[in-house]
Amino acid sequence: MNPVLSSLRARQLSGVRCRTCARLLRREKRSFATASGAGDPEGDPEIYDVVCVGGGPAGLSLLAALRSHPTTSRLRLALIETQSLTPLRTFAPQPDSYSNRCSSLTPASVGFLDGIGAWRHVRRERVMSYGGMRVWDGVSGESIGFDVDGGGGGVEGVKEEREGTEGSNGGVVAYMNENVNLTSALLRRIEELGGVDILEGEKVEDIAFGEDTPTADLTSWPVITTSSGTRLAARLLVGADGANSPVRTFAGIESRGWDYNRVGLVATLKLSGPGWGGEGKKIAYQRFLPTGPVAMLPLPGNMSTLVWSTTPALAARLKSLSPEDFCAMVNAAFRLRTPDLKFLHTIEGGQKDEVSWRETHTKFSREQVPQDVVAVQPGSIASFPLKFRHADSYISQRIALVGDAAHSVHPLAGQGLNQGQGDVEALTQNIIYNVEHGADIGTRMNLEGYGKERYWRNHVLMGVVDKLHKLYATENLGVVRVRSLGLGIVDRLEGVKGWVMRRAAGERGLF
Amino acid sequence: MSSIIPIRGTSLRNFNLLLQTAPRLVNSQFRPHTTSSNPSSVNPIEVSHFNALASTWWDPHGSSRLLHLMNPLRHDFIKRCHATQPTPVAKEGLRYLDIGCGGGIFAESAARLGSTGTVLGIDPTPEVLAVARKHARQDPGLQGKLEYRNMSIEGLPKPTSLNEQYDVLTLFEVIEHITHPADFLDACRDHVKPGGWVILSTIARTWTSWFTTKLMAEDVAGIVPKGTHDWGKYINEEELRAYFLGEQGMRSPPGWNGPQVMGVLYVPGVGWRSVTGSEKVGNYFFGIRRDE
Repeated sequence: MNPVLSSLRARQLSGVRCRTCARLLRREKRSFATASGAGDPEGDPEIYDVVCVGGGPAGLSLLAALRSHPTTSRLRLALIETQSLTPLRTFAPQPDSYSNRCSSLTPASVGFLDGIGAWRHVRRERVMSYGGMRVWDGVSGESIGFDVDGGGGGVEGVKEEREGTEGSNGGVVAYMNENVNLTSALLRRIEELGGVDILEGEKVEDIAFGEDTPTADLTSWPVITTSSGTRLAARLLVGADGANSPVRTFAGIESRGWDYNRVGLVATLKLSGPGWGGEGKKIAYQRFLPTGPVAMLPLPGNMSTLVWSTTPALAARLKSLSPEDFCAMVNAAFRLRTPDLKFLHTIEGGQKDEVSWRETHTKFSREQVPQDVVAVQPGSIASFPLKFRHADSYISQRIALVGDAAHSVHPLAGQGLNQGQGDVEALTQNIIYNVEHGADIGTRMNLEGYGKERYWRNHVLMGVVDKLHKLYATENLGVVRVRSLGLGIVDRLEGVKGWVMRRAAGERGLF
Repeated sequence: MSSIIPIRGTSLRNFNLLLQTAPRLVNSQFRPHTTSSNPSSVNPIEVSHFNALASTWWDPHGSSRLLHLMNPLRHDFIKRCHATQPTPVAKEGLRYLDIGCGGGIFAESAARLGSTGTVLGIDPTPEVLAVARKHARQDPGLQGKLEYRNMSIEGLPKPTSLNEQYDVLTLFEVIEHITHPADFLDACRDHVKPGGWVILSTIARTWTSWFTTKLMAEDVAGIVPKGTHDWGKYINEEELRAYFLGEQGMRSPPGWNGPQVMGVLYVPGVGWRSVTGSEKVGNYFFGIRRDE
């Protein structure tokens, strides 16, 4: 058999080229391999089935998923990532030190990660599962009954009085995990499977449509030029490249939304104990303050991670405090009344003493709030702006967006990373179906299923999360009364909240 | 013929056909005929009609959208046929002959499958084939696996060895456009390897299919271009079965077995769905295997 054809057999969906082309491509590969940093800009681009821009959780899990499925394992894949991936490869953390960038993984996300063979690479001793959430209104003190269902439909008890009850996932609402623990596991999985051309430490310099050459018409194919001059033609270009996605910009897809004028302040904290219920019965805490929700999410041992949504000015004040005063402010955020908190933000120091005497004059049940914060991990306090963004579309001809490139959501429901995993799972299924039916995986028509499924599901969830933020980001007495009485709007939202919590636990399906 | 779409009073004409009553037409398609002066199975009116449609073939929102949406079901049906074989089908190197390939919707997809060796697509309509060739250039992965030839089945040299025969011979939405289907199938079947399959899809000749494909699709809703279908040429599943198995006094080409059928319905907003029993009503797939 002629050698070109036989090499084709080995890679049915990869580029088939004439001998001249193959020679050109070999030459290009050589220049890349010798790291001369100059892929022949005049030659034909290297042809790939999927080029993924962005090596975050979404991009890496897409590549791991495609490589691990027999139907898609023959696709030619490339990853372009601006940062070096070496820190992920050499991830060797100290046992008592945790990254401040943690995410809640739903049982659905973990199931997906397990299915693609990545979860077993996650350092499990650094993952903390929790079985309940206590969520309450910071103005009225009323518990927001995130009631899931009236009749034990198999979803975790997340209402206060149902904390710790067994649910369909063994009582697990979610798993707290450092993002770096996940991405390093995904990269390990990808490198264990092999077959992904990884271009790390390289920026996307340019994306343009290809040319009509004597060998092929690539005028509908995006061709990516990286900072080293390597050129890659993509049957499907996946934008997993974050909120300012260059891929989305190339596709001319608008991303709309608003800034909340809030930042998410994160920190890794040490508490006085492993939680009121001990190591095996951890729960998450979230209190809705008028400035935004403050959440304490459990990590192994006495450690916890903080996500405090607040105004940029108040965040700046918090960051300027001494570690003792910062810890006191976090304790206050879960315990004191909002006028006290307001005052404590106005003083430049001495919060520790202020908080301790105010606590003695505030009525609260100790076991209903997180245990005392005793220390903050040095260098772990950071903040990032909170935005609501949703791309008009997730697809275009030979383009698909996943994760933050498609949507950014308020972190109050811990859904951002999980939405990205949901995108990846749906896109992977879409690609598998297309490969099985001989369909071109990049054409807009063949991507329609992915776009429709994920857009609407994310749209509804993001809308609800946004409304919850707005509903609780007010001290307006009328609104507080209504929401606190558990009547009116809040009560009518009961179904909606149940829906949110089922989504929070990663249940599938819209309803 | 020019490239002008022949304007025909389709609904009226079909109403007349309907008055002649459907049952009388059963088997008429397979009556032996000797008077044909046309050496090809190809009807020149059909060729000019499809020439006019060539430019919209790959427009996913154009008049061929229903065909694009149906394409995955073609592969599902072929898989279903292969699964009935006593010997498992080869995992690679399968040879496809797609007759009446049109713009290449099926031919391209077949060429992309991992189990495919080569695909030959033939079509008598030059403009349509030019569209197919142009489109295939947009996928470098198809080079060396997919070939198009502008010809009818009669133009394809008779195979002289097993290597020149095909594992899968496909006739998708073709036979209803053929004036003398029995002669046409006679010409096709020699190209099938022993143990290979003829796979086709078409529309049953029923009151329902006249109503849906002529009156509704072409005349009322306009989702299928006028003049695409000639209801009188529609063939029913039992006629195909009878032809291949040599029943009911048909010409009897020996050596076919295991006929498979799958009725499909287009549900607006949902897409094509396989519905048991619907082969009696409208669109259906038919597959039959040549004896090994």
